[in-house]
Amino acid sequence: MTGSLLTEEVLALRGRTVTYTAPEPFGAVAGRYFGMAVGDDNPLYSDAEYAREQGLAGVTAPLTLICETNQYAGLPMDEEGYPGHTWGLDLPGTRQVRGGNSYTFHRRIRPDDRVVATWTIDDVAAKTTGSGKEMLVITSTARFATVEGEPLAENSETIIFVSLEGSQR
Amino acid sequence: MSATWPDLASISVGDQVPELQRTFRLVDMVAYAGATWDFHRLHYDTEYVAQKQLPGPIVDGQVYGALLVQMLQDWLGPQSFVHTLSFTFRNLVFAGETLRCSGEVVGVGEDRIEVRMSVVVLEEDGSEGRVAAAPCSATVLVGRPDGPGAEAPA
Repeated sequence: MTGSLLTEEVLALRGRTVTYTAPEPFGAVAGRYFGMAVGDDNPLYSDAEYAREQGLAGVTAPLTLICETNQYAGLPMDEEGYPGHTWGLDLPGTRQVRGGNSYTFHRRIRPDDRVVATWTIDDVAAKTTGSGKEMLVITSTARFATVEGEPLAENSETIIFVSLEGSQR
Repeated sequence: MSATWPDLASISVGDQVPELQRTFRLVDMVAYAGATWDFHRLHYDTEYVAQKQLPGPIVDGQVYGALLVQMLQDWLGPQSFVHTLSFTFRNLVFAGETLRCSGEVVGVGEDRIEVRMSVVVLEEDGSEGRVAAAPCSATVLVGRPDGPGAEAPA
């Protein structure tokens, strides 16, 4: 392992934080639309009376929708059409793959919630693949809360940059 | 979705979660892109992905999370709340492919269950092909419609 991916610039990413505040309340239609898109016809997302019978204040949204930050970010589309949060990392000679996600949900979102999303880079680490290629593992966490400070959810995710160069062993 | 749901007392370690199967056509992916504000061309632009030498538009990996939550809620009903969920990506999934989510109860507590799950791509003959996400796991609170952070409804 040469550690060539773990540059000073990359190491400086540790602890970097970005916050996005939704410009308006979440709304009821967002959850209904998301449910339709994934084929989830749960009436908790569309029938307020049913939702109240279950003990909720009204309709909610599928849980993972809270963690889709693009709707809060207010960023312009890049050349590939992506209008969301990135860390702006461009590491030549690597390919980027996603490692996985780990969510914690604190409560269901409500249409009148206005969401604040705070992304933080927890760690950057150089590792080696099973075939001996260098890779850079970046772990970040997004914390979602209401503007009043009520926690809604957290989403930790891992992005991996794998060197395109051959095995180092 | 079932009209009746199991209560915690009836759930045991080893129980199988009723599977969820979903085909993501290109039009579904366009709908998902709209619902999540993710308009990256990887998810719908066939010319763009051909240039990238990919076999087709890529299904957004966050879809797996949505499907796993749906599978658990469809099984346990509205008096349940998925408190934690995690999954590891294994293989890309492309437009037109069918995903099967499955799971098994691996723990039962006083107010929750632990579930181990997987998401696989089905071959044309219905057999299980490559793994899209595994391992996947969840903690589900049973007997309540909302999470620990919920206040009483107004």
